[in-house]
Amino acid sequence: MFKKILLATSGAPSTFGAARVAFDMAKRYGAEVLVFNVMGVPTKAFSQEVNDVRTGEKIEIDDEYQSWVEEELKSTFEKQIESVEFSKIITTTGVPHREILRAARAEDVDLIVMGASSGDSSAYRKGYPGSTLQKVAKAARCPVMTVHRETASYWGGFSNIVFATDFSKQAENAFKFALASAKELNADLTVLHALDISGKLLDQNAIEDKLIETRSRIRSSYDFGDFKNYDVEVWEGVPYVEIVKMARERSADLIVMAHHSHELDPEKARIGSTMEQVILRAGCPVVSVSKPDKV
Amino acid sequence: MPEGQFCNKTPITTDEQLKATLNDKGGKQYYEEMNHLDVDSEKLWGAIQKTMKSRIKTWLEICAHCGLCAESCFLYQVNGRVPEQVPSYKIQATLGQIVKKKGKVDNEFMQMCMETAWSKCTCCNRCGMYCPHGIDMGIMFGYLRGLLYSQGFVPWELKIGSGMHRVYRAQMDVTMEDWVETCEWMAEETEEEWPGLEIPVDKVGADIMYTCNAREPKHYPEDIAEAAILFHVAGENWTVPSEGWEQTSLSMFAGDWECCKDNVQNVYDAIERLKPKRATGTECGHAHRATVIEGPYWTGRPDGQPPVPFLHYVEWLAEALRTGKLKIDPSKRIKEPVTLQDSCNYVRNQGLKDITREIISYIVEPGYFVEMAPTKEHNYCCGGGGGFNGIGKYREQRNMALRKKMDQILDTGCKLVIAPCHNCWDAIRDLEEEYEIGIRWSFLKPLVIKMLDVPEHLLPKDE
Repeated sequence: MFKKILLATSGAPSTFGAARVAFDMAKRYGAEVLVFNVMGVPTKAFSQEVNDVRTGEKIEIDDEYQSWVEEELKSTFEKQIESVEFSKIITTTGVPHREILRAARAEDVDLIVMGASSGDSSAYRKGYPGSTLQKVAKAARCPVMTVHRETASYWGGFSNIVFATDFSKQAENAFKFALASAKELNADLTVLHALDISGKLLDQNAIEDKLIETRSRIRSSYDFGDFKNYDVEVWEGVPYVEIVKMARERSADLIVMAHHSHELDPEKARIGSTMEQVILRAGCPVVSVSKPDKV
Repeated sequence: MPEGQFCNKTPITTDEQLKATLNDKGGKQYYEEMNHLDVDSEKLWGAIQKTMKSRIKTWLEICAHCGLCAESCFLYQVNGRVPEQVPSYKIQATLGQIVKKKGKVDNEFMQMCMETAWSKCTCCNRCGMYCPHGIDMGIMFGYLRGLLYSQGFVPWELKIGSGMHRVYRAQMDVTMEDWVETCEWMAEETEEEWPGLEIPVDKVGADIMYTCNAREPKHYPEDIAEAAILFHVAGENWTVPSEGWEQTSLSMFAGDWECCKDNVQNVYDAIERLKPKRATGTECGHAHRATVIEGPYWTGRPDGQPPVPFLHYVEWLAEALRTGKLKIDPSKRIKEPVTLQDSCNYVRNQGLKDITREIISYIVEPGYFVEMAPTKEHNYCCGGGGGFNGIGKYREQRNMALRKKMDQILDTGCKLVIAPCHNCWDAIRDLEEEYEIGIRWSFLKPLVIKMLDVPEHLLPKDE
């Protein structure tokens, strides 16, 4: 399932959780890890100057600087790099989301693992709406796993997977991924749909009817084959809240969701983006799936 | 004749030289070597005798030093209105002196010329409009840059820039394979939302051929995807060439005339090969100037025209909107005060002022468009033209130059600036970074895509 994992990291501590998950998975499933770093974001037209992704400082990239960054990354992840079958470090300059997608395509990776948001670095956010994560999740051909903080990096294998569906086309791909992961990893799978009733005046009976209707919709939409360790749940409420609640209740170590927001404008999409909200609040890694290629 | 390892009279023609020069961080050794570079006076005077034609000779001769050009120059205005920034003084004190002294000038003088030609003039040609004799100092500085380049007195980034054009035929190290791969990638990434979208490479006999700026495949391939979306929705029979796709010309900024010709010829060859009915390029000013306005003369085309009618992107876009190939949903038009940056290179130099305003009339709710003052062909340079944006050595001067555009934008009261030119876009981006006046800026493509009224059959089926 996972033969090649791309770990996109700035090398900052905020990405250590993601690194731990990526290397743990690689060790467990015999995958190779590509440690991928965008050193700087181009600026000043055609000049050689870039803004350092971590500090925002202006730097001139040359071979020496690139080697230094590679050394830094090597020493940061030294023990982890040694613990896996094969790993390599790739450094480049460019707009982060674009370069992550470019490398994932060039290396044909099975999974992208990313760290927490690096915040609103004006170095490259200005003039390009949408966060790095949103843009990667939207366009990547493979699933994208986000680990928001250290505590969300898991301590063992995956044993409880929560798959949240919104019945979109992308959710079919996400389901395939969730099911395949559950089978492969011998994990329990909970399929959840959060019934968004905010702003609707429904009496309790109507809500109950909707819940029953949605449960049967899940059963008819998704084919579990011979897989038995699954539950179907429909909870009413605000989707991201219900997804995080379910993950807590099931002690989930992985949440799988579909990504299909066409809206990249941060003002419009970020607040409303269920996925980003879940990533911020979940205590475990979150995988976003959009395309059918690698599920 | 001490020639430096990096700073010398020889253009960069190999990838090894490029990499080595790039690794000279910030051009430290390069500029040190420049201090010891000899001036080949004979070669310089020879070049002037061969290339300086009657127009520039006349201009140098008839300048009456009346000073009417002073106020026309935004660099004069933002730099305390000192005499050293008066266009006529700037050109007389550099090119004028070289001619007067028949090329017998020293290193120090040439370095002063370099600083003047690249940090005190963006070749925006505004002064030419205000001179009673029509003397265009921008054109003369373009000529001076060529002389300086041939002697090795050129800013480090532009030595590299024209080297890139010589080695890769693109301003960045993007190979033909990279380019074609990027087109495939963008088609793949876009087709889900736009079923049936293609980016046809090397299609012979298309209605229109599209060229772009190497920074797009290198860093911002979304721009190529956006161009494809608009061609797709407009039902345009279009193509991109696999070779000759790069329209920009850092060599023009650098004064590398030989390379300028080669670049443009490469685009024309693509036209000859693919035989499109027309051609257009991305939202870029200097690329258009190089390919459409200057290019035919560089390549010696007798009619002074590219092989087929070559539109600026704004001409194509206006036409597509005018003819209804692209329809705008009126409810999605821009409903906030918005202003427009007129790019010197196709507004002042080619008169496309009304075309961009026609586009504005389709995409901005009436009453929300605010003109800059002055405007159209009288508008000021963004502050980053002519290569100014990319030169580290003159960053402070460039940041000072941005102040004119900043004041103009602030006076409009707009928070959104439409900048259909890469250099203007970059300058305005830097302006915000430097002065934080709280503005947003955009090319036309993403704005138009957001407000398209897309025919049902072009939408994805399932949602």
